[in-house]
Amino acid sequence: MLKRKNISSLHVPHNKHTAGFVPVRIPTPPEVLLPMNMHSGHDAEPVVKVGDHVYVGQLVAREEGRFSSPVHATISGTVAEISTMETAEGKETLAIRIESDGKMEPDPNLKAPEIHNCEEFLQALRESGLVGLGGAAFPTWAKFNEMCSGQYTVDTVLVNAAECEPYITSDHRMMLDHPDLIVKGVEYLRTYMHEYLKDACFKICIEKNKPDAIAKMREAFAGMDYVDIHELDTIYPQGAKQVTLYNATGRVAIAGKRFPAFHAVIINVSSFAKMAEYISTGMPLVERIVTVDGPAVRAPKNLIAPIGTRIRYLLEQTGLTSEPGKIVIGGPMNGTAVCSVDDPIVKVANAVLVFDEKKSVLPTPSACIHCGRCIEKCPININVVAVDDAMKQKNEDKRAKALIDTGVRQCVDCGCCSYVCPAHRPLLANNQEAKWWLKQYAAAQKEKEGGNT
Amino acid sequence: MKNLHVSAAPHINSGVSTHNIMLDVVIAMVPAAIAAVVLFGLQALLIILTCIASAVLAEAIFNLCVHKKQTVFDFSAVVTGLLLALNLSTNVPLWQCALGSVFAIVVVKGLFGGLGKNIVNPAIAARVFMLLTFGAVGGGAAPIVVELASSATPLEFLNKGVEGLESAPSMLDLFLGVHGGAIGETCAAALLVGFLYLVVRRVIKWYVPVSFVATVFLCYLVFTGDATYALAQVLAGGLILGAVFMATDYVTTPATGLGRVIFCVGCGLLTFAIRQFGSYPEGVSISILAMNLLTPFIETWTKKKTLGGIK
Repeated sequence: MLKRKNISSLHVPHNKHTAGFVPVRIPTPPEVLLPMNMHSGHDAEPVVKVGDHVYVGQLVAREEGRFSSPVHATISGTVAEISTMETAEGKETLAIRIESDGKMEPDPNLKAPEIHNCEEFLQALRESGLVGLGGAAFPTWAKFNEMCSGQYTVDTVLVNAAECEPYITSDHRMMLDHPDLIVKGVEYLRTYMHEYLKDACFKICIEKNKPDAIAKMREAFAGMDYVDIHELDTIYPQGAKQVTLYNATGRVAIAGKRFPAFHAVIINVSSFAKMAEYISTGMPLVERIVTVDGPAVRAPKNLIAPIGTRIRYLLEQTGLTSEPGKIVIGGPMNGTAVCSVDDPIVKVANAVLVFDEKKSVLPTPSACIHCGRCIEKCPININVVAVDDAMKQKNEDKRAKALIDTGVRQCVDCGCCSYVCPAHRPLLANNQEAKWWLKQYAAAQKEKEGGNT
Repeated sequence: MKNLHVSAAPHINSGVSTHNIMLDVVIAMVPAAIAAVVLFGLQALLIILTCIASAVLAEAIFNLCVHKKQTVFDFSAVVTGLLLALNLSTNVPLWQCALGSVFAIVVVKGLFGGLGKNIVNPAIAARVFMLLTFGAVGGGAAPIVVELASSATPLEFLNKGVEGLESAPSMLDLFLGVHGGAIGETCAAALLVGFLYLVVRRVIKWYVPVSFVATVFLCYLVFTGDATYALAQVLAGGLILGAVFMATDYVTTPATGLGRVIFCVGCGLLTFAIRQFGSYPEGVSISILAMNLLTPFIETWTKKKTLGGIK
């Protein structure tokens, strides 16, 4: 194989303090708040009323349309309220508040799904409420469904266990504590989607800073020749799907194409474990491992918490050293800052990070000094400096052309540019705005063309 | 509980700031400044202080006048003032030094929109402005540490051709800076210390100044076939000062590594051409100035190919 050029990348401090902490299940929270948009598609539609009694794992909202995912009750108790809430991204969505009865009774109707073929497998995944647990929240069934169109052959399944973000160790713990579930998940996928994954190689992609997880995975998958434990360098953003694809297979993800077009599919390692759990027990996605860490946390821990648990309740388990200044769901590079300590953790919340007041205030942006660090560190080689200028173009056609020219459409949202910027400019936010604008523009163009013909 | 801070990701940063970078550049120039005072005496110190003070004052007053956010604390004015000072000889009266600094800050930088918006390096533009207005700014003054027969800069001998090497200072004197010239450009040893500091602090890439110096060296080597002469051309004049501190200026050079190398090779070729064929003995500042203007074009040529980009 030809020696590939290395993708530019960063060394960020790991801060993986919690890698040695076996996750502990938290005491049942007094209530949970379940937003309807914990996945990337349309909001789910509530199917329960205020006052209804629900069991753990009972369906409380069904999916609406493609790329949507159902929501299940994560504690047993009574539906207390269904009202709108503002999410961390600034969108409004319905949320179901369930008050606990303290019993955590599982739904007596739950049973392991009967699966004989691919359709039943996809249907089961759909009902499990499983989404990509790495951060994108793309419904897992929809991801596999794309492979079934017959358009593409998939020869590589990338199991993303890079966990390149600082602090987070929830995938790491999953590999150490439940390797059996991950093996089962891989086997289920291979068995039920056999016709689409004929000779596919499963690559478990792990960063080298987790030697114990690599050893565990090697042990668990010993004797399975279709599984390859792929060690990746410890660099950020190793876990961004385009970067993982390139570093693990040498293939280049072309902008605007769905992943199976590169004969590969990429799934987070915890998603495999949760998939296996559902298929063997019928218990949908109701709880997950959350790393609670950050400069303001007294005792960083990995906690197993029902989805929808309020952050305040999680922080009571770990304690704080100072008043929180900022709380982030996800990693420090890519996570979302929440507005309130009463916000719930969502399906993709692999971590809750608490920063103290001092570390919460970002330095004020100043003028770009054209140092080129952002371009140098961009894994995709986007001309980050030019994005700002392109956005200032008045003429929309010219602006679109200039933006496409910078390569901003391929941005993987890793945040390396903002991280290294000495002028502290919000480069990632600019890129995201540019991408959003380009999408609107493309949609408007399409409509215009449609109107003309 | 009070409100939480909400901001776009990422929530951490590398800790490098414009302020730190500028401070590093100032620190890197300190050895050259010390060498200047040792070689050229109190007058050199006065020039340095005058340039820095007038540059900082000019920046502060300009920002006040145009109601812009005060930017003197980012140290960029100190860099400009110090860099200009190192480019002047002790023959230049202090009022001219002050005027040059004000020109650099107000006309070259401020009027173009401040730090990051100027198209040419302020210190170089000011030096060339002074060169055109007041005549020689770089030569004519001898160091005070030794009795020298002539206060002429070594380039004046060297540009006569390879024969001029005999009347020029010895190689050791050239390296230590015991010869006539601008106060900061003569001591190659001090400049190399600054260069190493900038590379270690990752402010500049080592290959950027090296490609400039190497181009000049190779041009002379090919043109004259005399390695000693080519080396003398590298050590004499403002080549090392220009390559380390001016051709590496972020704002006025291309943003990518390849672009910066092209920039420096262009500077080297122009420097050689001006020294060898032009009427000025020194061509470093004019060549950097010319390449500054070409920067946008070099950037267009050296755009990186994006991963997965479609044409």
